[in-house]
Amino acid sequence: MGKSKLKTVMQLLLVVVIVGMGSLLARRPAHADDQSLNRVKQSGTLTVGTAPDYPPFEFQVNKGGNQEDVGMDIDIAKQIAKNLHVKLKIKNMSFESLLVAVQSGKIDMAIGGINPTPERKQNADFSKIYYSGGQDFLINKNDAGQIKNKNSLKGKKVGTQTGTLQQSLAKKDIPNAHVVGMDKTPDLVLALKTHKVAAVGVEKPVAQAYVANDHDLKAIDSGYKLNKNDVGTAIAFKKGNTSLVNAVNQSIDQIHKKNLIPQYLKDAGKHMKVNTNNTSMWHYWKYFATGVEYTLIISVVSVFFGIILGIILVLMRLSKYKFLSWPSIAYTEFVRGTPMMVQVLFVYFGLGVLVNIPALTAGIIAVSLNSGAYVSEIIRGGINAVDKGQSEASRSLGLSKKDMMASVILPQAFKNIWPALGNEFITIIKDSSIVSIIGVTEIVYELNIMRADTYRGVAPIAVAMILYFILSFSLSRVLNYFERRMNHD
Amino acid sequence: MTKNDEQALIQVNDLKKSFGENEVLKGINGNIQTGQVICVIGPSGSGKSTFLRCLNMLEQPTSGQIIFDGKDLTKFTHKEVATLGERIGMVFQSFNLFPNMTVLDNMKLAPKKVKHMRDQEATEVSLKLLYRVGLKEKANVYPSSLSGGQAQRVAMARALAMNPQVMLFDEPTSALDPEMVGEVLEVMQELANEGMTMVVVTHEMGFAKKVADKVWFMADGYIQEKNTPDQLFDHPENERTKEFINKIINEDE
Ligand SMILES: Nc1ncnc2c1ncn2[C@@H]1O[C@H](COP(=O)(O)OP(=O)(O)OP(=O)(O)O)[C@@H](O)[C@H]1O
Ligand SMILES: [Mg+2]
Repeated sequence: MGKSKLKTVMQLLLVVVIVGMGSLLARRPAHADDQSLNRVKQSGTLTVGTAPDYPPFEFQVNKGGNQEDVGMDIDIAKQIAKNLHVKLKIKNMSFESLLVAVQSGKIDMAIGGINPTPERKQNADFSKIYYSGGQDFLINKNDAGQIKNKNSLKGKKVGTQTGTLQQSLAKKDIPNAHVVGMDKTPDLVLALKTHKVAAVGVEKPVAQAYVANDHDLKAIDSGYKLNKNDVGTAIAFKKGNTSLVNAVNQSIDQIHKKNLIPQYLKDAGKHMKVNTNNTSMWHYWKYFATGVEYTLIISVVSVFFGIILGIILVLMRLSKYKFLSWPSIAYTEFVRGTPMMVQVLFVYFGLGVLVNIPALTAGIIAVSLNSGAYVSEIIRGGINAVDKGQSEASRSLGLSKKDMMASVILPQAFKNIWPALGNEFITIIKDSSIVSIIGVTEIVYELNIMRADTYRGVAPIAVAMILYFILSFSLSRVLNYFERRMNHD
Repeated sequence: MTKNDEQALIQVNDLKKSFGENEVLKGINGNIQTGQVICVIGPSGSGKSTFLRCLNMLEQPTSGQIIFDGKDLTKFTHKEVATLGERIGMVFQSFNLFPNMTVLDNMKLAPKKVKHMRDQEATEVSLKLLYRVGLKEKANVYPSSLSGGQAQRVAMARALAMNPQVMLFDEPTSALDPEMVGEVLEVMQELANEGMTMVVVTHEMGFAKKVADKVWFMADGYIQEKNTPDQLFDHPENERTKEFINKIINEDE
């Protein structure tokens, strides 16, 4: 359904992470004594993962300056927790991370408009289908005369989320359609409003939510012939957690019997009204403040540990012992040869199998490990640039290698590389946006939440750009100042 | 062994050094007595610097012996080589002061780290030496603000702060503007007069004539001739020496 995203790149990344964890996971018997329900009851908490950028299923509202997850899925999760007599704990992350988080046991279950496709069923267990809404197209109101349903879209451009049911439907059922794939619904809607696509295929409640908040848009029924069982949304669990699945299925039965879903959707609609009443960016300053705060925390802490790690790596590399220099070279080459996004996923989920690290810590660890490799190369360049006469003079005076490094070589190397280190710091500020993928609430994460919540596609991006620019520009000013002060000698 | 050999502070026996295929030192022999000033002269690329750098083990010889105070340096472990810093001082053509610290800190670093001198003692020693080379007022400036002559005098004072038994000089004046050569040679001459044992690689023939006890002429990987300056400059015996001396005299005129 709506968010059954299977973007190929993400899939590849997840496969890498899962392969990385492979041996660890393999040792865990998947179908041994199933204690999943007991574990949840004993701990007294049901930990649920979601990706709150998908109204009306799940999104965030700004309540007295605090961000809170709301929406139909959240109400369902609340009901389940209530029936199990445990507290509900919600963990936010990116949609792509939800299934891995379930598999690695970071969360007890994932809810988020997930479509139980056959591929996914191989890696996770699913509850019953709790919702099946149907498929709509969003179009510009002005086009309502020409576009009635899928048949009017022959040969036109149709936007869908990459890898979703809507995408395969459009490719299959609209003759000669040019299907444009994007990652996030707000981007698609923006493409629609700027006439880059003629229609956007989305799930019915999503279409309705957009129409309610944007009077230039119109929702029309898709006209696809759909089998209800294929297109519903369900809750995902770690494979073998049968007792928990059964307990949740009972709650879903109860929700259906009491016909609570329409009520949930209505409540979600009210929350959206609150969100869109005041879409001024000032109203959302708290989102941005949180984003800036976390971006700064990640950057500063990671730069600090990155430099320490970089020094250790470079000293190892310059050592005359192979057992020290070789691992340092291998590590540096490996880190430089893999994308930071995969590293972030690996630290969070891969190491997460051994120790349960919170997302922020995992993000900082990953960025530090990454930065350390680059810093070590920068420092090595700086050391090589120090005149050979300096080490000869040090040796002729009988200084030990350690004293020579600490008092003579490194201080000069750092002076040489100060601008390069500053660049690395600025790079980290910008690249730290990658940790939004595991749900760390830095600027890009907040930006995506806000775009989904407010139905404003562009303004939050502009604000985020300005924020990033202010951060890196003031940093480079500060660094310049220190560079000038260091240049006394 | 002659009587002289027994008293030698440094005794070099059949010292050889190759860089890959290139054999630079092909068998150096010579004795340096305590208090002697040896000037080493010779054409460019003949291995003078390499020889000097072997004496304090900045360069590991390929074979041969360097007996210093009765012990063969070429057999020294890394730890033992490090102790040479306290006993053999070296002054480089390009000064090699540490640009990231003041003149005083340049001088105090090794006494404190290597000799474990207290800060106050290191300061006193350093200031005394700076006074001696005529640069007391430069204690707290950074090397970048010194002239070449001043920098080289500081470099000498820095080496002397370790209170070494021997001082090695590798063309200490050839990177200097002509008007600064004098002030550096003057300090070296004073040092010689005080009885310091010195090995000086130099092109300053005037200095060699005036100060050296012995001049060694080096060419083609060997010491071709050793003699008093008067003998070597005025009555060279070796053909290569004659050629070299003639060439310098012609250049000077
Ligand atoms: N570290 C090194 N690696 C390889 N070859 C070297 C090295 N150091 C010196 N050499 C070579 O050894 C030879 C002698 O060099 P050295 O510097 O000792 O000569 P020099 O007599 O001091 O010359 P100059 O008067 O120009 O200073 C040269 O051919 C030089 O290229
Ligand atoms: Mg030389």
